[in-house]
Formats: sequence, structure tokens, C-alpha cells
Amino acid sequence: MPLLSDQDRQTLITHLEPIAKKVDVLLFTQTFGGGESGVVAKQVADEVASLNAKVTVVEKNFVLDTDDRAKYGVDKSPATVVLADGVDTRIRFYGANTGYEFVSLVEAVLLAGTGNLELEPETLTALAAVDQPMHIQVFSTPT
Amino acid sequence: MAYANPNITADAIDAQEFMDLSRRYRITGVPKTIVNDTIEILGGLPEAEFVALALNKPDAT
Repeated sequence: MPLLSDQDRQTLITHLEPIAKKVDVLLFTQTFGGGESGVVAKQVADEVASLNAKVTVVEKNFVLDTDDRAKYGVDKSPATVVLADGVDTRIRFYGANTGYEFVSLVEAVLLAGTGNLELEPETLTALAAVDQPMHIQVFSTPT
Repeated sequence: MAYANPNITADAIDAQEFMDLSRRYRITGVPKTIVNDTIEILGGLPEAEFVALALNKPDAT
């Protein structure tokens, strides 16, 4: 059963129309010990990808694809990594990406596909000055 | 923020799914943001305020 209603689906298709770049949604899951959330994460990623032809889900095995885990710094599953034209956006999602995180994933895909940052000029100036690794972890719940 | 600067990585984490991390960072309410394991930002804040705290420049706003 689809997660999205027909009406929501149409709204999101329109929302994602500006996507111009190829967007890869890398999904790291594991069959054993991964729980139900990996299955849900896959369904969510597939539905997002179905909204725009430039968006593709690339499945990775959290246990076996250790090179990719290291490359993208993925240390838990399920994990979603967003690439823009093959370039890492350094935006990660850990969990099933339902509820509020679904909206965040859609916005991350849109950002990757358009490159349009909706931040204030002062913010961009401040961020441009960051010259050391900065790791931001935002904790939320699906509801 | 991560998209704006290659030095920045941003993780969105389901606090219920990853309870060990939630305990480690004492997540008692959401959203809660942890920057470089040291800075804690609770709740949703206006952009300028959030960035100032995340960059450890709380007087910038």
C-alpha cells in the first residue's frame, strides 16, 4: 500500500519539478538485525524516487558494503545518504524517514537536485567561514 | 548547512530508533541538535539564532 495519497503525490511531483541534477538516494540497510525500519526506509525512498525521474534509489548492504560505509561515514542503519550528480551532499538520515523526516528527506532531495539553498545571506557568509570539520546531529521523532 | 560548506556534515536521527544515541546525548525533547558532540540546541529556533549557537557564537545575533 502506498504511503502517499494521490493528492499528496501530485503536490510533491509539482514540488520536485525544478530538479535538474541527478539525485542518488543511497540506502544502507541490513537483512539480519535491521528490524522493520529498514523495510519502511526502503518504501519511503522508493516513493520519493517515484516522484521524479532524476531521483534514483541505490541500495547498499550495511554489513557487506563496508567501503561505501567508510566513504560516507555511515555507522548505523538504516541510513540514507543524498548525492547530487554523484557528489556527496553530506546530508544523512538515520531511521525510517517517516513523519517529519519524510518532509526533510523530500527537501534534501530538492536541494540536491536544484542547488538552491534557502538560507539568509548572513547565514551563508557565516557558514563559509567554517574551516574545521563540523558534525551536526539533529534528533527528532516521526510524530 | 551541510550543503553550504564541505566541512559540515548533517545527520537527521530518529531518536526513538537509536535509543543508545538518545541516552548518550540526553535527548529528552525533540528536536534537539548536537554540534561536534559538545553544543546542545533544544527546540526549533530562528535561522540566525540557530546558526549562531551552532557556530558557538551566541553573541552574534
